[in-house]
Amino acid sequence: MKLFARKRTYIGFGAFLLTEIVILFLLSLERVRSAITRVIEQAGYPADEFLSGLTLALLILLWTVFLLGSLYLALVAGDIVGKEIEDGTMRMMLSRPVSRGRILAIKIVAIVVYSLVLSWFISLTALAAGLIHSGAGGLFVFAPMEKVFALHEFGPGMWRYFLASFLLGFALLSIPSIGFFFSCFDMKPAAATIITLSILFLDTILKNIPYFDSLRPYFLTARMTAWVFVFEYRIPWERILEDYVWLAAINLTLVILAWLVFSRRDFKS
Amino acid sequence: MFTVENISKSFRGRAAVEGLSFEVAPGEIFGLLGHNGAGKSTTFGISLGQLHADLGRVVIDGFDVAVDRHRALARVGAIYEAPAFYDYLSGKRNLDFFVSLSGGAPAKRVEEVIELVGLTSRINDPVKAYSHGMRQRLALAQALLPNPSLILLDEPTEGLDPEGIHETRELIRSLRDRLGLTVVLSSHLLHEVEQLCDRVAVLQKGKLVFSGEWQRSEHAVPLWRVESDQDAGAVMARFGGILSAGGLFRLPDAVNPSDVLRALVAADIGVGGFSRVVPTLEDFYLGLMKSK
Repeated sequence: MKLFARKRTYIGFGAFLLTEIVILFLLSLERVRSAITRVIEQAGYPADEFLSGLTLALLILLWTVFLLGSLYLALVAGDIVGKEIEDGTMRMMLSRPVSRGRILAIKIVAIVVYSLVLSWFISLTALAAGLIHSGAGGLFVFAPMEKVFALHEFGPGMWRYFLASFLLGFALLSIPSIGFFFSCFDMKPAAATIITLSILFLDTILKNIPYFDSLRPYFLTARMTAWVFVFEYRIPWERILEDYVWLAAINLTLVILAWLVFSRRDFKS
Repeated sequence: MFTVENISKSFRGRAAVEGLSFEVAPGEIFGLLGHNGAGKSTTFGISLGQLHADLGRVVIDGFDVAVDRHRALARVGAIYEAPAFYDYLSGKRNLDFFVSLSGGAPAKRVEEVIELVGLTSRINDPVKAYSHGMRQRLALAQALLPNPSLILLDEPTEGLDPEGIHETRELIRSLRDRLGLTVVLSSHLLHEVEQLCDRVAVLQKGKLVFSGEWQRSEHAVPLWRVESDQDAGAVMARFGGILSAGGLFRLPDAVNPSDVLRALVAADIGVGGFSRVVPTLEDFYLGLMKSK
């Protein structure tokens, strides 16, 4: 209730909508369209059929969700405990016969709901914007970092897109998990947000260094891209499951550690 | 009802509270007095389980707050340090949120409490539009909502204007008189404590220096003022009178003041006035601090 009663909660939603519109506009530019057309046609497929609304939706998702999603999820998660402590409302809550664990559980539910709603909002609005802009058609998938290259007809493309969106929501939960963890420490909410983003960006940088390819499974952000694999012709379910188990284990560990830190803290201005 | 047993707490090596013990009986209004940084808020924080005591414990209604916080605080309402609310929500929604954390309260109860604190006309306004006094009243409302038997109030009149102080004081008194609540309040405003509290505990640098009825303390013994241009010391000394601060005399309880006056007149001491001075809480407090 409180999270969605604040205007600034909706900044992320507004920012993504704006970004989608900007990207679609840029994708309309002739030299941009011809670059994408060239890639599709070099693979031996007709660009008219595969440069569709579905393809544009996936491009928007691939390009924006990590960077922008990280920012807004880290911002909300970094605030969710730390801001209440800073403002004094945590003291008000703990003046009631309610356990610290229950308060944290409420916070965790709030951040999970926000993360899932935001990620699915991004997916659905990207799809809507793409279809309105370029209509239905096949799905062209080109994700070089994940080594995924595929083309799907509209039907299979659509259900894979929905499945990927569903999985994306859960993959992104690791970002607020980190933010939530740091938010429980005695630090400014902004510091928790910055540390979270720093960890994610550092992880991404290291993951993308070619010489560290053999270490790829140990990078959090590599596991977080498991949702992209549903676009492969033969979906590698075992690999996807393994990645999500890893992510769930990390998230659970962070939550438990956060609870331990929070339960030992003293609250006094 | 409310027992503090030998609690100690340090922050970064500095003792905030040391070996503090006192007890509050049901139906009392008990004052926790002390200078800024004496340990009053720390005591409240430990009592609410928001601070972890290094030693000792606080027991409320038979339950140790550190071990069984839920049951200890089940019938406790509190204002701990400066009250804080969600400014973007109305007063009513703030109350609904805070009380929902402990199981909620019937709508009728919520209305009664809002009326009791005098916020009926503004309860649906956003808290950011509230004055300081209104926020204090809202804080009191959230403390009263769970139908408590014990209320802990940390500096309840801090920052209020004189009318606000008077209203809060009368409200606190009526909570005890009409509803039978036990009230523990902290303050460094002696006049407020003097008017409200049955008993007090005085803290100095985290340690207890006095606990009980201050009026019965040696630092609150009635004194006598002799208004005269002449030295009345010799006559007063004959009756065991001791010169105290401000030129006042302390007389033994057994001495009849009329005999002292007769003796002064008989000694040709021109007496412009001979009166009893009842010490205030301030006199008691300052006398106590000086003796320590």
